Amino acid sequence: MSTQGPVEIDMGRVEEIIRREEQALADKQPRSLAYQQEASRRLPGGVSSSWQTAPPHPIYVSHGKGSRVWDIDGNGFVDYHNGYGVMVVGHAHPKIVEAVQRRIELGSHFAQPTEDALVVADNLAERTGLPLWRFGNSGTEATLDACRLMRAATGRDLLIKCEGIYHGHHDALMVSVYPSPDVWGPHERPSSVAQTPGLPQSYVELTRVVPFNDAEAVRRVFEEFPGQIAGMILEPCMTNLGVTLPEPGYLQAIKDICHDNGAYLAFDEVKTGATVAWGGAIEAFGVTPDLACFAKAIGGGLPCGAIGGVEEIMGLVVRGKVEQVGTFNGNPLTMAASRAALTEVLTPDAYTHFDKLHDIIRTGVQAAIDRYRLPARITTLGAKGGVNWKAEPVREYRDALDIDERLSYAAWLWQLNRGVFKSPWAKWESWTISVAHTEDDARRYVENFESFAEAITA
Amino acid sequence: MGEVDPAKVEELIREQEARLRERTPRQIAFAERARRALAGGVACSWHALDPVILYGDRGAGAYVWDLDGNRYVDLHAGYGVMVVGHAHPKVVEAVRRRVGLGTHFAMPVEDTVVVAELLAERFGLPLWRFENSGSEATMDACRIMRAATGRELIIKVEGAYHGSADGLAFSYWIDLEQAGPPDRPVPVPNTVGVPPAYAQPLRVVPYNDLAAIERVLADEGDRVAGMILEPILMNCGVVLPEPGYLQGLRDLLHRHGALLAFDEVKTGATIAYGGATEWSGVRPDLVALAKAIGGGLPIGAVGGTEEVMGVVADGTMEQEGTFNGNPLSMAAARAVLSEILTPDVYARLDELDRALTGGLRAAFERAGLPAVVTSVRNRGSVHYRRERPRTFREAADIDDRLQHLAWLYQTNGGVFVPENDPWTFGVAHTPEDIARVVENAEAFAAAVAA
Repeated sequence: MSTQGPVEIDMGRVEEIIRREEQALADKQPRSLAYQQEASRRLPGGVSSSWQTAPPHPIYVSHGKGSRVWDIDGNGFVDYHNGYGVMVVGHAHPKIVEAVQRRIELGSHFAQPTEDALVVADNLAERTGLPLWRFGNSGTEATLDACRLMRAATGRDLLIKCEGIYHGHHDALMVSVYPSPDVWGPHERPSSVAQTPGLPQSYVELTRVVPFNDAEAVRRVFEEFPGQIAGMILEPCMTNLGVTLPEPGYLQAIKDICHDNGAYLAFDEVKTGATVAWGGAIEAFGVTPDLACFAKAIGGGLPCGAIGGVEEIMGLVVRGKVEQVGTFNGNPLTMAASRAALTEVLTPDAYTHFDKLHDIIRTGVQAAIDRYRLPARITTLGAKGGVNWKAEPVREYRDALDIDERLSYAAWLWQLNRGVFKSPWAKWESWTISVAHTEDDARRYVENFESFAEAITA
Repeated sequence: MGEVDPAKVEELIREQEARLRERTPRQIAFAERARRALAGGVACSWHALDPVILYGDRGAGAYVWDLDGNRYVDLHAGYGVMVVGHAHPKVVEAVRRRVGLGTHFAMPVEDTVVVAELLAERFGLPLWRFENSGSEATMDACRIMRAATGRELIIKVEGAYHGSADGLAFSYWIDLEQAGPPDRPVPVPNTVGVPPAYAQPLRVVPYNDLAAIERVLADEGDRVAGMILEPILMNCGVVLPEPGYLQGLRDLLHRHGALLAFDEVKTGATIAYGGATEWSGVRPDLVALAKAIGGGLPIGAVGGTEEVMGVVADGTMEQEGTFNGNPLSMAAARAVLSEILTPDVYARLDELDRALTGGLRAAFERAGLPAVVTSVRNRGSVHYRRERPRTFREAADIDDRLQHLAWLYQTNGGVFVPENDPWTFGVAHTPEDIARVVENAEAFAAAVAA
């Protein structure tokens, strides 16, 4: 390992790479480019979710198989995006295909539960140690339920969340997701900032904001609002800043602070559940919260959401004090796919596979970082990984502010033009691998990373 | 009409509940097992039917089978979703094909655009975005109205259910003692766990009361972003808008620079090709959809005018979600909208509606029961009271024991229908299926009257 500090990256060169790579991508995707114009007549921005409009243009996908996706221009990619961390099972996995094809013939929706709902609940209970479960249709619905349950169980209104974590798009948690420095307030007491227009101020003020990895900040909020905090929700490891791990003792400390103050702790495991380990972040970090929210990976590619919790809280649902409802909740098609994903695909072996591939990626990328003295760090955990383009470690949201987005964007374009599709908005997103990814797929990422490292330091 | 004897109703309820238990031993046992890991033994609080939780096994066309193997004519339709019928060959084919090509990329696919085009044609609104449920669609509709106007207040109708998001989780099935005077209701949360602060930007009005909306707008019209309503109230049975109500509120809102959103989650592509928008001839600024348009897959959609959806198009407001517009739901929706719920199918449903409502009315009249039947094509309900309700409070003022007994007769008689929600039938139902519903109602009415 080099004893010298990181090199200064010439941003003029990076901008030149961006120009060249954007042109190369445009040359490869004429249909996607033209199609955006057509799609914009009916879909704002030409897409069905604002995240799908990442620069330089939306990529319209045709199909996927295993670790590969193909765009409508016929370009194939190794998929490290995996639908924002959903497709840990890989695309069109035979077990999922079989489960969906069988269930669709038998009817996909009754608004009454089917036997599969219990199998899925049992599996989640086993993975997490949390006994009681309910289902929804998205991570958003799961975290909404978590907030409601913590409020209902305590009779208190205020919530604590971490700055820079996205928990879905319902009103209560669209607060300080990506606040800018002009409004984010002092570090020791961050302001609660509405993430979008259309959010009433009376909602925003109920959500108090703390930095990640700072248990003392949580303690201060409880002191400032005694008897008013229902609970805290967080991603046990942040997945929107690469992969930002909790420091040792942090999760246990905030759990203790919450409990000492008669409040609850909810883990948003939408991105980590069944991905960072068989038992998600609960297993990876050894701390069990009162509530856990799941979505993404557990549906095997179908819209899904789930909330699990301890008896003390979920009893409110059992007794009908809290209505946990939704027409499509626990629909048979999602449950069938989820059952296959959880019991047949994402078995303990899958996580050994993720570790093996991520060893290849981490070792290779770290070697390149050292060789080229890059201001970058790589972190991986289970199926998730990320590179932060910064020499110093990122512990929380504000540490990432000075990451130059041009670098992460150039890295994303570089990989895309060389057959690796990472999640767009690369400054913020980690990547996800699947059970279908191979060692060659892993080496492809490393090779591209190496050639990019050479290009920006040459 | 004679008076209903409450003691007799209770005796019949006991008898019918015992019969239902006899028919469902496996499900009673399964519920006990399910309670271990599913809160209350169900995946959603509405599934917890009384006295027995029914678990779905399979469905085909107009029929569903429960875990004990009992077959039902399905007028529940998964809360108004399955207008296409269960396992419709076109939906099956679309899903079977798509799942082999990958179901989720978090990137748009061509079907997304096709579905948006089909909805634009039906509702006369040009721009669309997708979600995963009606809850997400109505939540987006409110956020868009607020973002587009820069105002905070949303008006909703008492008794309307708009999904489970906090901002609209008010004044649905609630304790009316807390709800204020009928002409000036105050917002009451539907469930514990919704902070009172969420009531602040909400104003609640009675249905079918233009004067109430006028009052809100006169008092604070410059703070009202818009109004969301079910054009036909459908969560307390079916309550119809009086002539001029929908046009009147649209005019009032627009005069104050406020917007109108129709929650067509229950009516869209269901009661007419163009939903309640077509049925009423009143075009809102936004429409929220879900249920029927997905053909049995989780889905939501919000559509609007160029002007209003501009806040999404130009990035002022993020409208987002990992599964939004996922290829599997889009493939099913495309099949539903372009191949099954075509313009010609709706008129055919009228014939079944006439048979059903005519049969029910005759049965209730013969028995002298206090019951009024209201329907809009394939969605309808019975209110166990003498007068047709105009508002939620009137619709809630019913004989709910009679309603429960009627539901038990239907369930034991092989018809699955929600107890206090409208029925739904669809393209797979036959006159014989509808006759079964009428026969059960006749048996129920005769037993009560005997």
